[in-house]
Amino acid sequence: MDIVVRGTVLFFFVYLLMRVIGRRELSSLAPFDLFLLVVLGDAIQQGLTQDDYSVLGAILAVSTFAVLQLFVSYSAFKFPRLRPVLEGEPTVIVQDGKPIEKNLKRERMTVDEVLEEARLQQISSLDEIQWAVLEPSGNISFIEKK
Amino acid sequence: MADVPEGIILKRNRDLDGREWHIWLRRVLMVFPFATLLVLALFNVFGQRPRTDTVTSGPASLKLYAPTHLRGGLLWQARFHIQAKQDVKDARLVLGPGWLEGMTLNTLEPSPISEASDNGKLALDLGHIRAGNEYLLFMQFQVNPTNVGHRTRTVALYDGDTRLLGIDQKVTVFP
Repeated sequence: MDIVVRGTVLFFFVYLLMRVIGRRELSSLAPFDLFLLVVLGDAIQQGLTQDDYSVLGAILAVSTFAVLQLFVSYSAFKFPRLRPVLEGEPTVIVQDGKPIEKNLKRERMTVDEVLEEARLQQISSLDEIQWAVLEPSGNISFIEKK
Repeated sequence: MADVPEGIILKRNRDLDGREWHIWLRRVLMVFPFATLLVLALFNVFGQRPRTDTVTSGPASLKLYAPTHLRGGLLWQARFHIQAKQDVKDARLVLGPGWLEGMTLNTLEPSPISEASDNGKLALDLGHIRAGNEYLLFMQFQVNPTNVGHRTRTVALYDGDTRLLGIDQKVTVFP
C-alpha cells in the first residue's frame, strides 16, 4: 500500500513541479538538463520504492504512475476546460517577424533562443517568420512567411 | 495580417487575455510549496540534525545527543553521555519502546553487560560508573521506511532500582 501512496504523492508533486517550472525547461535537452532529468529520476526512485527490491514493488510503482498519467490525460481529453490547467496553452512569441517581448519575458526566453530554435528548422532570420508559437510541449513551431 | 494558425486565438494566445494571472499563480506556487519546503528543510524541520538534551540530578548527569526529526530510511545515531558525580554502582539505562519501534538497531557500543526487558522497556546494564568518571554509549539506528508519525522516546538512568534521572522526547518521522 505504501508504494501506491508514495507513488501518488510523488506523481502529483512532480506534475505540479513540471507545470510550475515551465515548458521550456521541459523540452530543452541540453547536457545539463539531461543530467538534471537523470538526477530527478534517481531522487524520485529512492523515495518511491526505498528498500523494496521486489518485482511486485516495481510493478506497483510503475502501475501507479501509468494509471495516474492515464487519469490526467483522460481528464484533459474529457474536460476541455481542464486542458489549459493540465497541459498549458500555446503562446505566440513572434508575429510577422517581430518578437513579442512581453510573451518572451513571461516564458523566460530570449530572442537568441528563438533564433537558435529557428536555425534548427533552417530558418535564418526572424524576418522569415510569420508566426512562432511556443507550444504546450515546450517546442516552438514556426510558420514562415509566404 | 497573415492568416492566424488554426487553433490559435490571438486574444488568448498572443495578448494573453485572461491568462495574466497564470504567471502569478506560477510564482506563488514556486514560493509555496517548493521554496518554502527548502527553507523549512534548512531550518531542520525535516531532520536530521541532532539536538542535545541534558538532565542533572545529585549523583549523575545524562546528556542525550540525537535527532528528533527523522525521515524514512535514514541512518542516525544517539549518543548517551553519563557523568557520574558520585559512585553509580549499578548503572542501568532504560529505554522506552519508542526507541526501537519501527527502527532497526544496527549496533550499540560499548556493549552493555547485559540487556533485559524492564516492564516492556529495554534495560541496558552498564555496570559500575565511578564518581568523576564518564560513560559514553553510542547507538546506531536506521529508520524503517514504513515507520511514519510521532513517537515518544524515553530514557532513564537507574542505579539499581533507584531512578536517578530521565529524558522524554517527542520524535517525528517524516515519510
